[in-house]
Amino acid sequence: MGYVAVEAGEDVIQRAEELFEKQRVDGESDQLSVEQVDDQFSRLTAQAMSEGGLYAPRLAAIAVKQAQGDTAEAAFLLRAYRSTLERWGSSRPVETAELFTTRRVSPAYKDVPGGQVLGATKDYTQRLLDFELTDDDGTDPTEEWDAEPEDPPQLRNVMEVLRDQGLVHNPETGSDEDQPGTPFDATREPITYPAPRAAVLQELARGETGAVTALGYSELRGYGQVHPTLGEVRTGDLPVRIEHPYTGDEVEVTRASVTETECVVPIYEKADDPQFSFGYGLVFGRNERKAIGMSILDAAIQLDGDAPAQDAEFVLDIVDGIDSFGFIEHLKLPHYVTFQSILDRIRSIRERTAAASSGDDAPVQEVSADD
Amino acid sequence: MTDPYDRSDRFELLAACDAETLVAHADAVVEGGTEVRVLQAPTPQLVMQQVVEPVARQPFNLGEVLVTAAEVELDGEKGFAMRPGKAEKPALSGAVVDAAVEGDHPLAEEMVGSLSSAAAERDREQRERWGETRQTTVEFEEMEDHT
Repeated sequence: MGYVAVEAGEDVIQRAEELFEKQRVDGESDQLSVEQVDDQFSRLTAQAMSEGGLYAPRLAAIAVKQAQGDTAEAAFLLRAYRSTLERWGSSRPVETAELFTTRRVSPAYKDVPGGQVLGATKDYTQRLLDFELTDDDGTDPTEEWDAEPEDPPQLRNVMEVLRDQGLVHNPETGSDEDQPGTPFDATREPITYPAPRAAVLQELARGETGAVTALGYSELRGYGQVHPTLGEVRTGDLPVRIEHPYTGDEVEVTRASVTETECVVPIYEKADDPQFSFGYGLVFGRNERKAIGMSILDAAIQLDGDAPAQDAEFVLDIVDGIDSFGFIEHLKLPHYVTFQSILDRIRSIRERTAAASSGDDAPVQEVSADD
Repeated sequence: MTDPYDRSDRFELLAACDAETLVAHADAVVEGGTEVRVLQAPTPQLVMQQVVEPVARQPFNLGEVLVTAAEVELDGEKGFAMRPGKAEKPALSGAVVDAAVEGDHPLAEEMVGSLSSAAAERDREQRERWGETRQTTVEFEEMEDHT
């Protein structure tokens, strides 16, 4: 399909943009500050950062405000900004055992080492619309807690518990093994298939939340075999460390909020020595739905079966929100020449069909999708 | 124990210290007449966060983290700082403070005091946060099967 540029009055385009901006400021209420978005809509900013592939909470808040709450647009704004920047380098690889944990639940082990820590969640309460929020006075419901400060522990990863028991199957790592320490970077080189595991994880980590959830869900709904038990779900802060340019020491720049999960899949990789297969999910920010979906897809892709979610190329080609929203939404832009060409072809076919039926036997062409 | 006189520890404290404090210290250095030469202008950059996934224990790229780095020279002493996010002025100020402490500037002791406070604040916040979080630790009991 070819594209032909069109032009329109710049002042009209400007007015359309101004009308869009007016929608944000037109109400009776005070303007929402970037700080308010950052503080009170952390799930939105987390989703934008995760799908944009850029951890920058304050800029994510600006992006969410600018996009008027459209997370796909906010993620696009972040990724576009990111594309203007140079890279300092890579962090030192960090183990998630170092996570400063703010929530850890294990659906697999009731008595998980370190305990079940619910953290901030409404998972175990009714989800009813709270009309009292219309008169929210900002009261902190934990104000009366008698919580003694305490040194945070490092909670042992459930995978380590399984590993101790020899129940963890280590998958083939493909080309990652050829270059230890230099994982594939999907932002710098195109993915070819079979994709290295690092590419799969990177692409899933910045996949669109709805797409990751839906494709993961397809496995549970019978379009696949993966119906996992989650080893654990954790949220917390992961250190970002670089090599200090003067001392060469590993030093912490900041901490990135993340959600992590590992899913255990009862598919036995070795018949003579049954071990679990697994899937892994890790995403920026608090987004348990996406992390769980990612772990299911990771496990499904490793199976390399016939189900849609087990096809790495299919999943990785469609899971990126920036790609899909760009391609889907471009359809609303002017396609006048393309459409005129299709009309011309149809009219031509009709004319020849009419001529053929009146005695002329010229061949009749079909309109194909390639037109 | 975090030591603000140790360059690597100081790097972490400069990243964690509140921006206003760093800027005030750097302004004081400049206002005192010390010449600051900017070797690397503060510019937002990306650090690719690598994570070792816990099962196959292979690293992968989780995503990029926005940082701002700066480097200066102060009385022949180099200083470097990196701040999270888009933070040009705090990064430049951090680099000035780094060089000032390294070069034993007359204001260094005051700066070290601020960095020590930043370390204490960081630890206090973490302890408080975990103190709250552990209030939600629960033991799930399996219920009897009444079916």
